Amino acid sequence: MKSFQYLAPIPRFDYLAPKTLPELFDILEDRGREAAVIAGGTDLTIALKEGTASPKAVVDLRHLRNELGGISLDRGTLRIGAMATFSEIEASLTVGRYANALRQAAANVGTLQIRSIATLGGNLATASPAADSAPPLIALGANVTVLNKSGKKSLPIQDIFAGPKRSALQSGEIVASVEIPAAEGVWSAWTRAAVRNENVLSAVSVAVAAKVRHGKFEASRIALGAVAPTPMLAETASKAMTGTRATAEQAEKVAILAAEDAKPISDIRASARYRKHLVQVLTRRLITQMLLEVQVP
Amino acid sequence: MKGKVRLSFKLNGEKRNDEIEPNQTLCDYLHDVAGTTGVKKGCDTGECGACTVLLDGVPVASCLVLAPQVDGREVVTVEGLGKTSNPNPVQAAFVEHDAVQCGYCIPGMIVTLSWIHQHLPGASDAEIKRLMSGNLCRCTGYQQQIEALKAALLSTSRRR
Repeated sequence: MKSFQYLAPIPRFDYLAPKTLPELFDILEDRGREAAVIAGGTDLTIALKEGTASPKAVVDLRHLRNELGGISLDRGTLRIGAMATFSEIEASLTVGRYANALRQAAANVGTLQIRSIATLGGNLATASPAADSAPPLIALGANVTVLNKSGKKSLPIQDIFAGPKRSALQSGEIVASVEIPAAEGVWSAWTRAAVRNENVLSAVSVAVAAKVRHGKFEASRIALGAVAPTPMLAETASKAMTGTRATAEQAEKVAILAAEDAKPISDIRASARYRKHLVQVLTRRLITQMLLEVQVP
Repeated sequence: MKGKVRLSFKLNGEKRNDEIEPNQTLCDYLHDVAGTTGVKKGCDTGECGACTVLLDGVPVASCLVLAPQVDGREVVTVEGLGKTSNPNPVQAAFVEHDAVQCGYCIPGMIVTLSWIHQHLPGASDAEIKRLMSGNLCRCTGYQQQIEALKAALLSTSRRR
């Protein structure tokens, strides 16, 4: 018996699975805007069913895991390949040590069945304002490496986001990897608010990365998700935090500034006003947690 | 050049070769073409987990995977985990604990819980709940299923 179809059948397309990067870039050049790249498929497959994507060619990266996957630490840089899955990131002790906020976010993406296949590169390329991987990467000062036929370029992670569900990738370009500075003593964490604990998109997510030294916050960065057209750095709050005394009072002040930095809209997940409130609460919660966890002499 | 692609993979331990249209999900392919009807389509958008299968050993929502993506890989459905005559420990515990009502979510639930049973035998209650959040059941309230998994873990550890 044939399964029922809720959604329209997926339109036909050419399906191509290149074996090498040069072959991939030839295909992408040849097919241009009519090609869609698939890694895990958790976003694209739904877009195909809903008709929000109707590529003439689907280009599968599955043979390129050696080139585009993996998690490694090399000379102070944590490199995460675009095809690393959220399950792999969640399970990585190296990520836990140098990018705890990202590990926490990875563990909360979707469900087990989604984390098993959904990739970091796919999350960035889809460019949802609510992409849970983005605030940790922004807070940690990560760069993204983009590959195309003629070479590669490195961008600050924010710059891959051009607008809601619009990445800055040009035709013929793919996300290859993410590079995170792996410094000792950087504390980072991520949290979010949503209508339930699991299996849900974030209404607001917040990541904080900072050092505490000699009783002061150093190199502090607060990043926000789902409160603007793209994930964003809370600039005023980050600047105000850096160099100030590491106290609960300061945490509250910074949290208020972070809420002012946020530029949310109202939608089905939360109202704009509630989102600003959540930014303040979650930011304060993370900084307070940091004060408890790091030793403030 | 729009056309069929070759799909060669292992399904429940047996090699399978096919020529398929690429514009179908693994869920539809397994249910409609391969005849492994234990793979259920619930939401078709990756939320409910009724279509959960193991892909290279890890639970995935087969409605989010395009069938040609599994070329060269290994898929296990609920049919590959045990038979009525020889159920796996989780399947046996589901029967013992009446962990089934309407049954629609059960194949996917069994796949996820069997994976936890095999790979995370020390999982806490909170961790079990977190990991099964991708398998929705509208009948049971999950309690019997968690009890069944814990009983299966206990019976297996006794045998070890």
